[in-house]
Amino acid sequence: MKIKEGFILREVAGQIVVLPTGEDLNLNMMITLNGTGRFLWERLQEETDEAALTDALVKEYDVDEATAADAVRGFVEKLNGNGFLV
Amino acid sequence: MMKTYKIANLLVAMDVNGRTEKQAAKYQVVGNTADADILIHVNAEETLQRFPDISYDDAIYLSSGKSFHRQLLEFEGMMLHASAVVVDNKAYLFSAPCGTGKSTHTALWCRVFGEEKAQILNDDKPVLRLEEGTWYAYGTPWSGKHDKSVNIRVPLAGICILRRGEENIIAPYEGKNAVIDLLMQTPKPKDMLSRAKILELLNSLIINVPVWKMECTMDPQAAIVSYEAMSGTRFQ
Repeated sequence: MKIKEGFILREVAGQIVVLPTGEDLNLNMMITLNGTGRFLWERLQEETDEAALTDALVKEYDVDEATAADAVRGFVEKLNGNGFLV
Repeated sequence: MMKTYKIANLLVAMDVNGRTEKQAAKYQVVGNTADADILIHVNAEETLQRFPDISYDDAIYLSSGKSFHRQLLEFEGMMLHASAVVVDNKAYLFSAPCGTGKSTHTALWCRVFGEEKAQILNDDKPVLRLEEGTWYAYGTPWSGKHDKSVNIRVPLAGICILRRGEENIIAPYEGKNAVIDLLMQTPKPKDMLSRAKILELLNSLIINVPVWKMECTMDPQAAIVSYEAMSGTRFQ
């Protein structure tokens, strides 16, 4: 899985903002991300899976695998539920 | 007929009629279309497809405003859906979704200060523009139904996000949290370059201009509360 084309991510006044662009993406898909969200978002720009994301989180944030897996699952579910993934 | 206008310190060429032409009259200048910084493209039919219930006249108003905004971005400017009031050569902007009471609030400023001391810079979509390191607010022809606008440039003193409430409570709005509220009140052309530019401008705006959040009532005291907080002075 990975995130659809056409989103831009910028830091605005300390806030991480994601905006859809182009004809096909809905303005409802304007979101903000925290540090972990941004980390996962950037990894999801390439084809990947939950296992790889969990692994990356564990390495980067020094958390245990169960916590990381939960975070990844929650994030992916939210993205998927709102049509961000392809 | 193609005419030239000075809007937000830019030479704009525009061919419109109806209310847009009338509201733009005070911005008209002698000039050469070939020298224009911005050439307005009006596509009323496209606007009517999106908003079938509006009049053709209103479609021209919206379409021309949209074309202006998209090109304005290239000149470090953006429009904000806000009512802007000027006191002591400082512009105070009140932004909120339609129907919240932005115009009501700035009208209270005018009541409380009187016509001599307060004026409405623009009641619908003032321009905010970064020039030589300072953010300024400008009046524009896109000034709402009652055409309240002044063709001047004023240093931007603050932006306040309004909400209706039972009491008047105002506080600084942390930039991080204000971003989405402000993003919701600016037109966003769909292309990637425009959207990236808007985020870049918004970043500079929020870092350099105080942003406030206010719950307000509809009585004159609301104006005094917001003025005192945003100007940092006592109302006299």
